[in-house]
Amino acid sequence: MPQTRYLIIFAQAHYDFRIPELLSVAELHGFSIGLPDQPEPTRPYMVVQLEHQDHAILLASRCILIKSVCEFYAQGSSYDELHAAVRSNKQEWIQHQADASFKFTVTGFKCSLPAQKQREIIESFSYMALAGKIDLKTPDIILSVFEEYDSRVANVEGKHEQPNRFKQVYFGRLLVEGTARSLAAKFDVKKRVYYGNTSMEAEISLLMANQTLASSGKLVYDPFMGTGSMAYTVAHFGAQMFGSDIDGRQMRGKEKQAGVFRAAAQYGVAARVVDLCTFDVTHNPWRCGDLFDAIVTDPPYGVRAGAKRLGRKKPPTEKHIASLSSQRVGALRPGDSAPYIPPTKPYELSNLASDLVLLARYLLRPGGRLVFFLPTVNEDYQAVDIRTMLCEGMEVVANSLQDFGSWGRRLITLRKTTNQSYDPPTFEAPSEDVDELDGETAHVPAHKDFREKYFQGFKPAAE
Amino acid sequence: MVRLITHNLLACHAKGCTSNNFPLQLKDVQLEQREAEFNPDFLRRFMPKLDWGALVDTARQLGDDSLPLEQPEMFDDDFLRKLHHVLLEVSVEEGAMVCPNCSHIYPISNGIPNMLLAENEIG
Ligand SMILES: C[S@@+](CC[C@H](N)C(=O)[O-])C[C@H]1O[C@@H](n2cnc3c(N)ncnc32)[C@H](O)[C@@H]1O
Repeated sequence: MPQTRYLIIFAQAHYDFRIPELLSVAELHGFSIGLPDQPEPTRPYMVVQLEHQDHAILLASRCILIKSVCEFYAQGSSYDELHAAVRSNKQEWIQHQADASFKFTVTGFKCSLPAQKQREIIESFSYMALAGKIDLKTPDIILSVFEEYDSRVANVEGKHEQPNRFKQVYFGRLLVEGTARSLAAKFDVKKRVYYGNTSMEAEISLLMANQTLASSGKLVYDPFMGTGSMAYTVAHFGAQMFGSDIDGRQMRGKEKQAGVFRAAAQYGVAARVVDLCTFDVTHNPWRCGDLFDAIVTDPPYGVRAGAKRLGRKKPPTEKHIASLSSQRVGALRPGDSAPYIPPTKPYELSNLASDLVLLARYLLRPGGRLVFFLPTVNEDYQAVDIRTMLCEGMEVVANSLQDFGSWGRRLITLRKTTNQSYDPPTFEAPSEDVDELDGETAHVPAHKDFREKYFQGFKPAAE
Repeated sequence: MVRLITHNLLACHAKGCTSNNFPLQLKDVQLEQREAEFNPDFLRRFMPKLDWGALVDTARQLGDDSLPLEQPEMFDDDFLRKLHHVLLEVSVEEGAMVCPNCSHIYPISNGIPNMLLAENEIG
């Protein structure tokens, strides 16, 4: 298939998420996308290859991080280079020469260009001999010039004074504005009828939903549902959503109708929230596996919402257990706004992460995805950390860092690559010395004991 | 709003309760009609996951006998609409689900089932 080049203009946010999002949306719609040989995702402009213009339009309508997409005409490290390339790529734009009304835009990335300078740049394209009339309001075509400056150049004002201080200049025809970006405002947490201190910011919830490949007819599950932030975005893209949490109060809030249902109604997706359930994911009631197309979640890591599971730090004695035998969850008090709450014990993050991967392998359909955040210590993080939690049949698709300085959280996307059915996990922490028996010490990932490290300010523990 | 699709996927998981622990018996239920999106693709894809016998029995106990005892091999629109109704629109607002084996009671309140186990019930 012949490929056409398109210029993607990214929004200035979450650059580590850009390529995974492009690839997910392309996979969702079943087309391929040709990335540069050495993609530089931190740069705001990227030239990609696509088979159809429709694909570019699909990307712009679904990718949260796309500001706009242009038909690509040329690029260069100077205007001389650019103009030479525009001239030699004449076949790309010649069809607009005769009668399309047009307008030019000139944009500097990290640099604002004075009107006079913009005019000069526009005039430098006069050799294109566009015969159509200039129309600033409703032009047939918008031709766009983008100057990309090195963000390290400090003096913004002076930048364009020095010729060619920019890194690269791009030229193309605006094809489509990114429409998915505005969803971040729609899902703004502060405007939601129900949210809590664990709610996930809208833009990230949308990026997570895209990593799940959410679409109509699919079933997606969040086992640490909380206030349900990702349920709304996943359901917005058409999938049915299922949620559970160890603490029912997180999902219901204070009113009679559960907060998650109210927020879903606000977004017009109540009909896609299948159900909410209260349970500890390590003691779950799922009858069988191979159920979900995706699992999307922000697991607890003990900073804002405790990572806990049923049980006690010290196992109870037989006698104690016998004395409890008549206890029934929720039965001690009528209604479960204040139910009997069984005791819980801490759930260490690296164990939780490995358990989650095993659970996903059990509950996902073949090809299904697990999308979750893993908080970690940036300085100590190593690529192998991710491998410590993988298991046979689960493979890494993407790993994007949201950087908060000394720590960060990584959005991990895994795919179930096996058709085999596996047993549900036992949720028993591996005993610490197993690997040493094999003569090698297991790698300790930086996210292990994240909570303790967080509260110590990420300083090495005192000896 | 425990929809019957959910009911069809949940089994008793108390310690040692591994047989005859599904389907949970609905008790003292208050039913409500819920809005759900008719999505034939979703239904078709999900059908193989259903325990058909449990679904039909439960629906009949709740007074809905629109589904055939045997899962049909061909799904026409009429059938899919009935299935849609039973699976996704009949829902339990209040009541309980009781394990036929160990009698554990899972209460449902404001449409949310509490599937937590007490301390003596976990493995
Ligand atoms: C970081 S919050 C998730 C926040 C959610 N994404 C939101 O939008 O509000 C983690 C949630 O996991 C729940 N949780 C903690 N331990 C759990 C367990 N063992 N099983 C199920 N849920 C658990 C907590 O109650 C909390 O609501």
